[in-house]
Formats: sequence, C-alpha cells, structure tokens
Amino acid sequence: MSFFRINAVPNRTTALALSWSLFVAGTALYFWTSHQRHVENPEDRVVPSLSQMVKGMSDAALKPDEADEQEAGAENAPLWQRVHSSMLWKDTLASGKRFLWGLGLLFPAAIIGMHMALFPYVGTVFLRFILFFDKIIALSVLPILFIAFGIDELSKIMLIVIGVTPTVILDAFNLTKGVPPEQIVKGFTLGAGDFTVAYMVVLRQIWPRVLNSIRLNLKPVALFLFSGEMIASTDGLAYRIALLRRNLSMDVIIPYVLWVALLLFLVDFGMRLLNKRLHPWFREA
Amino acid sequence: MLSGVNLTIEAGEFVCVVGQTGCGKSTLLRVVLGCEQPTAGRILVEGREVGHPGRDRGYVPQKYSLFPDRTVLENITFGPLMEGAKLWSPLLPEYWRKRRESRATAMKYIDRMGLRPDDACKYPDELSGGMQQRVAIAQALIMNPKILLMDEAFSALDPGTRTDMQRLLRRVWRDTGTTVMFVTHNIAEAIFLSTRVVVIGKDNGAEASRVVAEIEIPEYKRLDSGYLCEEEMARVIREIEDAAMGGRIEQEFAEFGG
Repeated sequence: MSFFRINAVPNRTTALALSWSLFVAGTALYFWTSHQRHVENPEDRVVPSLSQMVKGMSDAALKPDEADEQEAGAENAPLWQRVHSSMLWKDTLASGKRFLWGLGLLFPAAIIGMHMALFPYVGTVFLRFILFFDKIIALSVLPILFIAFGIDELSKIMLIVIGVTPTVILDAFNLTKGVPPEQIVKGFTLGAGDFTVAYMVVLRQIWPRVLNSIRLNLKPVALFLFSGEMIASTDGLAYRIALLRRNLSMDVIIPYVLWVALLLFLVDFGMRLLNKRLHPWFREA
Repeated sequence: MLSGVNLTIEAGEFVCVVGQTGCGKSTLLRVVLGCEQPTAGRILVEGREVGHPGRDRGYVPQKYSLFPDRTVLENITFGPLMEGAKLWSPLLPEYWRKRRESRATAMKYIDRMGLRPDDACKYPDELSGGMQQRVAIAQALIMNPKILLMDEAFSALDPGTRTDMQRLLRRVWRDTGTTVMFVTHNIAEAIFLSTRVVVIGKDNGAEASRVVAEIEIPEYKRLDSGYLCEEEMARVIREIEDAAMGGRIEQEFAEFGG
C-alpha cells in the first residue's frame, strides 16, 4: 500500500480506520497530557480530566442556572424540569433563536440574488451596492451596530446579516447566471411569464444549490453570532464560554465547544438530508 | 452576421436550414425565436410581428432541452399548466383540474413518442439522449405551436439513435402537420427530413451571410423508406454544396445509409 498513489483505492476497513485515526490520536494526546498534568497537580483545571468534564457538563445541563433563584426541592425535580431550568438549556435556546433568525434571513437574501441575476434592472440597482457591502468587515461595524440597534437581539442578528447575506446573495446571483439560457427560453415558449419563469423554472433549479450554499455558510453565521454574544450579551453559548474563561473553567468550556460543534453538525446533516429528500433529481458535484 | 434574409415558411412545411459552421444558421433560428433582435427587418408569425420568445413558437435545443428538476410527465405538462398561470395558481382548484387533464394528454404524447408509460416518472438524467429529445419534442408539440424551431436537435446523438429520431420526427410531422424549422449541419439529415432545404452562405469577400439557395425536396420523389433515390440524392447534395461554396458542409453518408 502506497499512501501517495493517485490511483489508490483504500478498502472499507482501511478507510474507516484512517478516517477515525486523527480523532483517536487527538483524544489520546489530550488525555495523556491531562493525566501528566494531574500527576503533578491533582487540582489542575487547564487540561481537565474526563471525570472533571463530565461533572462540569452534568452541572451545566442538570442543575438550575445559578442566576435564577433556586426553588426549594429543585434538586429532586424530574429530569426534564432540571434540564429545562439548566444553564446549558437556556444558553442553547438563546443562541439557537438568534442563529435561526440569522439563518432564516439568508433565504430572502438568496431570492434577492436570483432577481438580480434574472432581471437586468434589479441587477443594475443592487449589484454594485452588494459588491461594496460584501467588502465591509462585519466585525468592524459592530460598535456602530451596538450604538444604532442597542445591545439587544437586533444588533446580533444585524451582524449576521452584514456578515453573511452578501455572500449568499452573490452565490445565488452566480447560480442563477449559471442556469442555461435555453431553459429560460424554453419556459417562455411554453407559455410561462417572467415571474413564473423566475420561480417555477430558475428558482426550482438553483434551490438545492442555494441550500448547499447556506449550509456551507453555517459556520460564518455561528461565528458572527458568537462574536456578538461574546462582546455584548447576557445569555447564549458564546456569552457563557466568555464568562467561564475568566474562571479558567475548562471543564465546562471544552464540553460547551463540543456541544456547539455537535449542534452545527446536526443542523448541517439535517439540511443535507432535507436537500436530498426535497430534490431527488439533484446530484451534488 | 446575417443580411438580406427574406424567408417565407408556409404552414405545414418542414424547412431545414443548412450551412457552414459559423454562417449564422443558429442565429437565424434565434432571431425567429425572439432571443435576438434583428437590427433591421421583422419576423412575422401568421402575420403578427413577434419580438420575444412566446408560446406560438416551440423550441427544441441541442442541449438542456428538459427541466432537470421535473419528471418526464411534469416536463410535458409544464406548458399546459403555465397557460395563463400566476405564481399562486397552485392554490386554486382550477389548476389541479387542469393538471389532471394535461397529465392524461401527456400520457398520449408519451406513447406517441415511443416512450414507455413507466418513463413518465423518470427524471431527465435517468433518460438517454434520444429519450430526452423525444420528451422535448412532446413538450413542445403539446402546446400546438405555430412553428416548431429545432436547433441541431439531434447533433449530440449517436448515429443509430439519430436515424431513429429522424424517422420519428418525420412521422410526427406528417401526423400533426406542424410547421418545422430545423437547423442542422448535416446535409443527409436535412434532405431526409425536409420539404425544403434553405442554404445559408456567404458571397466571396462578403462579411454577412445570406440565403444562397432554397432547394425543394418534393415528397413524390421519395422512396417508401422516405429517402431519395441515389441519383436524386447526389443531385441535391451537389446543388447544396455548390450553393454553400466549397462544399465544406459536413456530410454524413454513413447515417444516410446510401
């Protein structure tokens, strides 16, 4: 077996082993380092052990948020109730709401991109502006957003809008330009009007690719959301990570980071599955 | 560039446009289709001037002839459903009634085009090139266009499929009486299909192309197979080559079979 052979065809077992090898190596390296540090200092918090992280995460997920006034007997409440009043649940809910708002706004952005590419006058009005808008570094306008919209939800959502929508608009614009002109002409010869061609011919064809583009922008959406939450927020996953950093609570920070990665992975997976189900004709390149 | 093109196509005629590569035969078709605007002159369909692509002109291109996101049945019924449709039409019961009716009609076209009923649920990428073009012809014909415009519609097909498609198109044309304008670079195909071959070419030193010859192919001269006899075939080919100057139009005698 030669590792650097272009025509190599790894068998199933080898491929499975190789694809997990870095995860295994990373985890092993972490726990070895953690063990070494704990031998020197059993109270070490910088590289927490598995038991420290499990305890930290179970406190975050099953104990009532310390900010809330603890009700009597809360410790003995049913599991769902304990999860519902936990710090992790509240943070996930707060970040999730903002994330979904940001994600939701990307869909109209894609429609704008399609109109820009299809209708020359719309393109003339918007294209130059969007190209300029795309060059603005979203984080650089964060202070302006906080002044203009306050430090509430709107400024964080606006940060996502400024950061990601131009990319999605331009993506949809390019995808629409990529629809063969024969298809548009065909639509007209079959009796469709301008808007029916736009929505029944073009949009239907670009939609799975638009969903893919939005899916690929999940990380930037989360990135802008986290930036906003870390700088000015009173709840949310990023707010919590920033807060815990002050106490060097790596036993909660690491599970939180993994939790965020898992959530993003699930959204990505869900969108990929949805795309496949909704568009059986679509073959990914 | 085309100049001084004065072409009249009678109802029910099958006109093939041939010419050397780059002579402007596809441009002529695109102007008739309304995709390109002539700098001078007019295009009339049944006496009415046309500017943009519309439902009175059916179109079958060489590539991308079907909507990839729709099944065969949905491709064929697209036209009937789009007639006067608005974006909100699917919310109205009338749309669903029309959908049922057009599906029944589409199944007849599927049969007429030699496709199997179970092909109706397939997506275009599950069909061969020849099958896709059969669906594209059905999709255009279901609209009863005043003229069917076909741009190198069979050029991407293998020789065997191409011959099958030529026979099918001739049969459909005879059955429906649809007026057809067919652009091709293949003389044998043009002679087999058409009632008249229009040759586009350039005069010596000229920049613009024009119609240099119009050669009638009378039906009575055809054999039972639809082909011309060898002698007549040779005469028509010579005439087309002479008109196109230099005779560099691609000939595919192998496909013609004689």
